[in-house]
Amino acid sequence: MTDAHSQQECPPDVDLGRVWIGVAGEVWRRRPGWLERSAAALLRSPGLARALLTTPSLLVPWLLASIAVLGSGAAVTLGTGQPVVSLLAPAVAAAGIGYAYGPGIDPAWELSASMAISDRMVLLVRALVVFATYALLGLAASAASGIAAALTFGWLIPMTLVSALALAAATVARSANVGVAAGLGGWAIMVLSWRAADGQFTAAVTYTAPRATVYLVLAACCGVTVLCAPRVRKGAS
Amino acid sequence: MNIDITDVTRQFGRTRAVAGVSLRTGPGVFGLLGPNGAGKTTLLRMMATVISPSSGSMRLLDRDTGSHAARREIRRRLGYLPQSLGYYPGFTVAEFVEYFALLKEMPSKQVPGAVATAIERVELGGKAHAKLRTLSGGMLRRVGIAQAIVNEPELLLLDEPTAGLDPEQRVAFRSLLRELGARATVVVSTHLVEDVGAACSEVALMAAGKLVFHGTPEELTARGVGHAVGDAPLERGYSAVLAAARS
Repeated sequence: MTDAHSQQECPPDVDLGRVWIGVAGEVWRRRPGWLERSAAALLRSPGLARALLTTPSLLVPWLLASIAVLGSGAAVTLGTGQPVVSLLAPAVAAAGIGYAYGPGIDPAWELSASMAISDRMVLLVRALVVFATYALLGLAASAASGIAAALTFGWLIPMTLVSALALAAATVARSANVGVAAGLGGWAIMVLSWRAADGQFTAAVTYTAPRATVYLVLAACCGVTVLCAPRVRKGAS
Repeated sequence: MNIDITDVTRQFGRTRAVAGVSLRTGPGVFGLLGPNGAGKTTLLRMMATVISPSSGSMRLLDRDTGSHAARREIRRRLGYLPQSLGYYPGFTVAEFVEYFALLKEMPSKQVPGAVATAIERVELGGKAHAKLRTLSGGMLRRVGIAQAIVNEPELLLLDEPTAGLDPEQRVAFRSLLRELGARATVVVSTHLVEDVGAACSEVALMAAGKLVFHGTPEELTARGVGHAVGDAPLERGYSAVLAAARS
């Protein structure tokens, strides 16, 4: 590129280095698909759109998050079905997803934590992707199985909607905390309105079946882990 | 002042990793030296806004890191290379650098040119489409440097940047450091005293969480006159300051 021949041919006012960077930029640039372009427009952030579309490439965290989500869903559907379970189910799934993408698991977490786009926003995006994907799979499985239909319509689709609500609120308010509050609020309203419809509004705090107790202990363990585990590892030197 | 830190501490349980560090510096290349466990990485992570100080005040690029909005603005203008670079093995070099350019909220139209410039500056043009899992340790380090400089940062924090680079690459990297230091504040944490001598205009030495020396490489060298430990003058200065701090 900078050999003697090209130097002789090149007019003095042409910066070959700049030309090469322009060419390399065009050759190396990735062309986002329609899905990423739409997500970028909706989320008002090409970075978040990219984080959303790269989620499935993080295979191990993806699997861990899926186990947490489906495990919580199964507990809700096959357990007591009482609101005390439903109320806490999002917390269990959220903790699972949080830990699947947190420090020590997401390889680039340390770098991501120093970026302008907050890691909590990236987490909200990934939570939506996890729920949406499994809602779609659940819908397909519903044709063959009643249990799958119950899991999909009673848990995965509502949680996808709640995650979408949380992300939308966070995008509009430009604050992940606002999004989380909106998501939890939306879920609580949804569950309590189901109870109000069948006249068991207070069941959320009065019901005590053995399986619910097991679930409550699991949820409490998740809560304690989230509160007590250090958010970042100790500095290496 | 791009870095204005006053009496900053960072505690991890009962361990005090950084103990009352104060530091002010502007544009130029700043070397941060010290033995293992001195607190260099913790100080750098605080400056990268990855962790917050337990006490003290920290202003970067004329903004207080305690406020969310200010932190976001600092991060847009920050470059950071962690000590151990985490990466997604399935990404190509160009995809990885582009991903972090987007997370730094660079305008989309500027991203392709910025990515190409950063990759060329670390001499990885021939590997732009190579998957990260196929690269050597030295090449991965250079990918890390490329993502750190992609947004032309005003504050660049590099933790052990030359680890894994061969001698020729280290010479090229020092030249890049001097170039970057002409308009930005570049903080380089390293064990390699010769990197500091070759590239840094200012140097600080940490020991047991404290700053025990802050001055020019020449001043550090002067501290070593008559000191026996160390092969090079700067190494003797380093050893003399550390020995004085420990006694």
